[in-house]
Amino acid sequence: MLNVMTAEQVAKTLKNKEELFILDVRNESDFQNWKIEGENVELLNIPYFDLIDGVEQALSQIPVGKKLLVVCAKEGSSKFVAEQIVEAGRENVHYLHGGMKAWSEHLEQVIVYEDQQVKVYQFIRVGKGCLSYMVLSGKEALVVDPSRFTDLYQKVAQNEGVTIKHIVDSHLHADHISGGNVLADATGASYYLMKSEGAVFDFKALEDHEHIQFELVDMQVLAVKTPGHTPGSVSFLVNDKLLFSGDTIFVGGLGRPDLGGKVREWAEDLYETVYDKVSQMADDVIVLPAHYANLDDELNQEGYIGAALGDIREKNELMRNKNKSDFIDSVAASAHSETPPNFEEIVAINRGVEEATPDRQQELEIGPNRCAVHHFA
Amino acid sequence: MKSNRIVDAKGLACPMPIVKTNKAINELQTGEILEVHATDKGSRNDMAAWVKTTGNEMVQEQEENGVFKFWIKKGSH
Repeated sequence: MLNVMTAEQVAKTLKNKEELFILDVRNESDFQNWKIEGENVELLNIPYFDLIDGVEQALSQIPVGKKLLVVCAKEGSSKFVAEQIVEAGRENVHYLHGGMKAWSEHLEQVIVYEDQQVKVYQFIRVGKGCLSYMVLSGKEALVVDPSRFTDLYQKVAQNEGVTIKHIVDSHLHADHISGGNVLADATGASYYLMKSEGAVFDFKALEDHEHIQFELVDMQVLAVKTPGHTPGSVSFLVNDKLLFSGDTIFVGGLGRPDLGGKVREWAEDLYETVYDKVSQMADDVIVLPAHYANLDDELNQEGYIGAALGDIREKNELMRNKNKSDFIDSVAASAHSETPPNFEEIVAINRGVEEATPDRQQELEIGPNRCAVHHFA
Repeated sequence: MKSNRIVDAKGLACPMPIVKTNKAINELQTGEILEVHATDKGSRNDMAAWVKTTGNEMVQEQEENGVFKFWIKKGSH
């Protein structure tokens, strides 16, 4: 019998580090560009068009008894191949419901933090390595870096009995389409981003707000000038306990310039951020970034992507006792020219300069997240 | 461009465009041209990769009003 696996079930499998054998039947270049990866995932790529006349060559490479997931772009070809594998007598055979498209769009909701004043959810977009957050307090909520799947945040707010009042973007995203504007329209919430990012729709400029306060939350806006990444990005410190670090600090290290080509200038700003602002923060502040590169390495014991600032400092020599010129040299040496797929069009959409149908948005976002690759230890 | 046979795979989702193309090309002689019409966006990359692994040749391809057209010359295998 042929079984189906949803993107949510695949995400759970990866988080629990369960064993899975994946037969990816997309063409080789799509596979090389972007695939499902995990510590106990074994991958085999044979394009479906090599299996039209029979699956024998695949069968000889698929271990008997292991859980098998057949994956393709949308679903059709994986079913086509998986059915033949079942007919050949294999068991424990699954196909991915909705294919890599569904994988790209799945958000995994996990709890990060809860005390008397505030509760925080993280939404892990496992297929792309993007993170968004909801900060709840009393009857109100604030959303950080929302994805375009805005229904989910509204559903969570409804279940929790809160109203979304504020939405913030830490920077102008280049790898995915922001849900900020759509979510603000749907909820009536205020949408904040940096004026310097060049958006053309109505928003509140973060330059004019040093704090965003609601119920028992005080969110401090820390401007971090990063001209190498995007013209302006910010981090948010909530109740002196939680640092939503955007693309500035990751669990695996510091952010790096990828789109600007002004590496040394950016590195100088980053130095000031790390040594003047972040160095003043306590070791037990929890860092919650906008991206991650490797789920297995960055998912912590509590099941979310994040780490204590002290631990990140501990592992990252660059954040301790470096002088400015050594710091800049180290950052510049790690410069990288790979950019996220379609980033120019995505940036234009996030600025409100261009519009795109949902189909086009989905197409633009397909693929790996190259912002997340860009940290260095 | 002249073709010996046309496969209409418009409106069909993956894997059908390639399945039909594969079947049709098996019935052609070496050097003959198969023309394929498809609307599935994935068929562009897939068709190019399929042609390579099967030893056929993509002679021409174009897009017209959302329809992808391919002209494939059967190789000698």
